[in-house]
Amino acid sequence: MINSSTNNKIITALSILAMLLTWHGLALLIGKEYILPTPAQTGLSLLLIMQSQDFWPAVLLTVGRGLLGFLISLGLGIILGMAAGFSRVINWLLRPWVTVMRSTPVMSVIILAIIWFESNLVPVVVAILMLFPIIYGNVVAGIRNINQEWLEMARMYKVKPRRIIAELYFPAILPYLLAGATTAMGIAWKVIIAAEILSQPTRAIGTDLMIAKFNFATAQVLAWTVVVIMISFVFESLLGAWENNLTNWRR
Amino acid sequence: MAFVLDKINKGFGGLEVIKDLSMQEEENRIVCILGPSGAGKTTLLNLMSGVMKADSGQISGFSGHSISYLFQETRLLPWKTVRENIDFVLKDKLPRHQREQTIARYLETVELSPFASYYPARLSGGMKQRVSIARAFAYPADVLLMDEPFKGLDTQLKMSLIKSFIRLWTLDRRSVFFVTHDIQEAVLIGHLVYVLTDRPASIKGRIINPVPHEQRDDSNAPELQSIEQAIYQLVTL
Repeated sequence: MINSSTNNKIITALSILAMLLTWHGLALLIGKEYILPTPAQTGLSLLLIMQSQDFWPAVLLTVGRGLLGFLISLGLGIILGMAAGFSRVINWLLRPWVTVMRSTPVMSVIILAIIWFESNLVPVVVAILMLFPIIYGNVVAGIRNINQEWLEMARMYKVKPRRIIAELYFPAILPYLLAGATTAMGIAWKVIIAAEILSQPTRAIGTDLMIAKFNFATAQVLAWTVVVIMISFVFESLLGAWENNLTNWRR
Repeated sequence: MAFVLDKINKGFGGLEVIKDLSMQEEENRIVCILGPSGAGKTTLLNLMSGVMKADSGQISGFSGHSISYLFQETRLLPWKTVRENIDFVLKDKLPRHQREQTIARYLETVELSPFASYYPARLSGGMKQRVSIARAFAYPADVLLMDEPFKGLDTQLKMSLIKSFIRLWTLDRRSVFFVTHDIQEAVLIGHLVYVLTDRPASIKGRIINPVPHEQRDDSNAPELQSIEQAIYQLVTL
């Protein structure tokens, strides 16, 4: 008897295999490497770019920008989200700002950021503007949905407000915060790459993607894309592991 | 008299909830307040704890006392273990070594010592309510307010929780005000039973139950039955 987790792994592996086969079949059908290279050609290209001395600096700087943007959004989202969750006035004060951030197209934000900021900073600023509203919204929702009976219990037992925040509010909003962080992390890399493509920092995955496109090196474009997917996957797994760790009381 | 409520009135909007309610009680007794659902029993407890203010009348004896609570819901924090849940309310009151001893002692009394590091999600409903009973007694309070903590539990579970409660109270006497709509609970637990009218709540009568708790196990005891009868008559009056 195979347990369900092994079973799921087999299904996932089969699905990835099907994806690669479809890709390979389409590439053969088209027959032009500069339009769609095969997975093998892409893999080869990936090995080649990994050996270039610019590879790791570009990857590390892109990851650094992504993490910086993500962490600043997380910090701002928690602080302002809690403030808005507790205070109606702050909530209404912040509402128009957040609405504007939410509704502005990513491309407008990127273009404006390019006009206003240095190219290395553009992806970070764009990430903050895109990710902050997600985390903020989730923190506010977490505070709104807190169980009033727990709060009443804590107040009746005269628990100090500082401890009510640290030991009741914070754990209660944690599931909301983690859900927001996971969504934000998924969007972060897409936004960072888009911003890098337009702002062209010296060392960046986005810049290298654009160079590959100018050279009609489609295999390289796909190779860099695979790198971004890997980065995204790694951070999603890290966040997932952290979530499991923090919410082990559910089981 | 230690606790005095004198001609208390309380309403919400136009709705009178408590009307001219008076009672006087001494310390370290278990006072049951028996009334129908929606009769303002919870409001009465909120007035005693000071969470709400009466529209008129005097309440004395409660303010200045430390108060602990038992609710109908267990109100345990799901991300804290049994031990941590009790520690949560004790931390601002007692030094560390004393908290550890206190928690260990009360968990033992409610027979939950082996479950100290369990999260509430892994406990049954009855076990969770025992944790909240232990929390209420572990908290250094002179007054314990109980808001139908046994409501909605099956009879067997209710009996075992009541036993846990009486055992704790006997070891560690406090002034208990216990509201319920259940005559049987009132007979088993109270030294005194106040019967409330329908809303707006006032006192219909006060019945003394002199039977010692250790003799209340046998619900067929004639003395208990006659008290139950007297309460029943008062309720249906």
